[in-house]
Amino acid sequence: MAKFIIRRFFLLVLTMLLVSIAVFLIVESSPGNIAKNVLGAFITPEQEASFLAQQGLDKPLFQRYWFWLVGSDRVAERKCGFELERIETASGFQEWWVKGENGSLMRWNLEGEDLFVYIRKDNVTIEKRKDNERWVKAGDGSSIFWGIDRNNHAVLWVKGASSEVWNFVVGTGWIKSTGGPQSYIPLKKGFLRGDFGVSLRTGRPVEKSLFIRLRNSVVLAGIAFVVVMPFALLLGMVAGINEGSFQDRFLSIAGMIFSVIPEFATGIFLILIMAHWLELVPGASVFGEKAPWQRPDMLILPVLTLTLIELGYVLRITRASMAEVMRSAYIRTAFLKGLPFWKVIFRHAAKNALIAPITVIMLHVNWLMGGIVIVEVVFGYPGLGQYLLDSALYKDVNAIEAGTMIMVLLAVGTQLFADVLYTFLNPRIRYS
Amino acid sequence: MDNTKSTSKKNQNSNLDQNIDVPKKGKGRFRDTLKILFSSKAATIGLILVLFWVFVALLAPYITSYSPMEQDWKAPNKGPSIAHPLGTDELGRDIWSRLAYGARIVLIVMPISEKLWIPGGTAIWGVIAALFCGASLGLISGYKGGWADEIIMRLLDAMMSIPVILLYLIIVAALGASAVNVVIAIAIVGTPGVARLVRSLTLDIRTRDYVRAAETRGETLLYILFMEILPNAKGPIIIDAMLRVGYAIFAMGTLGFLGLGMPPPSPDWGSMVAKGREFILIGNPWASLWPSLAIASLVVGLNLLADGLREESMRYQ
Repeated sequence: MAKFIIRRFFLLVLTMLLVSIAVFLIVESSPGNIAKNVLGAFITPEQEASFLAQQGLDKPLFQRYWFWLVGSDRVAERKCGFELERIETASGFQEWWVKGENGSLMRWNLEGEDLFVYIRKDNVTIEKRKDNERWVKAGDGSSIFWGIDRNNHAVLWVKGASSEVWNFVVGTGWIKSTGGPQSYIPLKKGFLRGDFGVSLRTGRPVEKSLFIRLRNSVVLAGIAFVVVMPFALLLGMVAGINEGSFQDRFLSIAGMIFSVIPEFATGIFLILIMAHWLELVPGASVFGEKAPWQRPDMLILPVLTLTLIELGYVLRITRASMAEVMRSAYIRTAFLKGLPFWKVIFRHAAKNALIAPITVIMLHVNWLMGGIVIVEVVFGYPGLGQYLLDSALYKDVNAIEAGTMIMVLLAVGTQLFADVLYTFLNPRIRYS
Repeated sequence: MDNTKSTSKKNQNSNLDQNIDVPKKGKGRFRDTLKILFSSKAATIGLILVLFWVFVALLAPYITSYSPMEQDWKAPNKGPSIAHPLGTDELGRDIWSRLAYGARIVLIVMPISEKLWIPGGTAIWGVIAALFCGASLGLISGYKGGWADEIIMRLLDAMMSIPVILLYLIIVAALGASAVNVVIAIAIVGTPGVARLVRSLTLDIRTRDYVRAAETRGETLLYILFMEILPNAKGPIIIDAMLRVGYAIFAMGTLGFLGLGMPPPSPDWGSMVAKGREFILIGNPWASLWPSLAIASLVVGLNLLADGLREESMRYQ
């Protein structure tokens, strides 16, 4: 058993690795341009190049993947020769600083041709002063300096006659100077160390948006699950008790119809009937920053849609399992012993008939996820699916990777859980 | 109900006997298939729904009085009327024409580019591509066994564990929305399932004598896989394919709804729903209702048909 779990866990890690590489490659190979998506269609080529460089997107693919996976701070430390530290400010921003002498933290900024250092002492006061001594003379008469700028990049600043750069200085406009940033490394800790990176679309750390979205999705899926399970199992058993009877045929065909109609069509039907014609409940679930449970009326239609879709599916599995059990010899024996009907059903049949549905449902969690994504889009529900869709449309690779990893982890994790659960529910199964 | 059931059973029994006596060819076999179909009410309804859409798709130019792109700026967002039997959308385009031409894209033709349209609907091509990739992998995996089997199946397992919607999203969002990319997405998502089915069938068939005989004759691997094994596995594959056409239409609708289907202004059911949804609030439910109903009826029809066929063919065995 332990061996089985370890093997599966290894497969999970392998799957996530392969998927993350595949996502990187697909996003990379696709047409379109993140800079245009974020800054608009009318950006100049210089602005585009500058944006791509600042996001580290001008680096080769394998390097970007490596930075995403294990982080770029080590490389940056080697480049600039300082020890780096990530802190969280009082207002909740993540900032990278260089560890300076006696516990102070330092960052730099280039204004014109002067390098300014920002020194943060005791995590409160920030002191700014000129710091031109840091420049290192390079061979061709220019000076260079690797440091950390104020936007969480490791930056190579170059100053000298041969390099002319247009820089934007706040309050002054575009000025020409002989110095400027030449190379950027966006600092991050990497996925393996729990840092999903910064969303290219919003500029916020992915995890700040992602986990709220994930919570919303889990709330929606959880409520739907709690609502649908008792119904579906009960109806499935009713259908399975008498295979081929009228109620069986009615229930299984109705269940099939509900489970094969695309989620968005079911959603539209429900919106039209419940919200448009009967005007019972709101037809969208838009709650901005609020948590879903603060507007329960907006949850009704999404939950109902999910319920209908899942109902058919669970019902059919339960029906098949129940029908199989009802044909078995021990049920016939129980009836022949003269046990009352309901006793046979609940004592003898239900116990065995419910093993399969419970585990099969978990195996199909990735199928149900699809339903949740669509339902979120139909109702404007701020969940993980919408986030992922928006990110995919923007080619926001960090957000896509983070969302993908969470979804794969959930899907494969539940499958593993289902397999383990199965061995407990059905002692005849042994994995070796 | 009891009565019809017993007669249909009798029919099947007589069919069964005939099947054993003389292997049927051509017309007789076709009649048998029809008999199977009509003995189940659900399958009949399914067949009618599917045929309805096939005919609508085939005859689209003759049964619609407007082109799907024709805009009538005087009558946007109108309900059903005599001029427009199902109403108009937000640009005054006739919804019935758009539905009919949308069915064409799903079932009859596939737009490769603006000029080039090839026969065979987008959903159909998606399923064919999935069948081809899946069958090849499944045949090799099942026939060869060993490390090839192990590698292929582990990779496919990994693919199957990825949420389907995620695959669709990433593939189509990244590759860009077009019919070809929708086909690619449907094929990639469908491949693991087909491969598994074909592999399990191959594992059984490769032990048969005729495969041994072909091996002894020194036939090539390709011949054995595609001429000996595949034709003998076709029954379950065909029923699976029919279900898969349903999934593919489902997927096309979903992608269209997410804005990842056919590029506008082509009449795509999913994107019609997505667009129509925005106009429910201003009082035009029709633009989203009709395409939703269309896609629901076609998918339900296909599933009823496949279910009916599977049940009846299982009763045969």
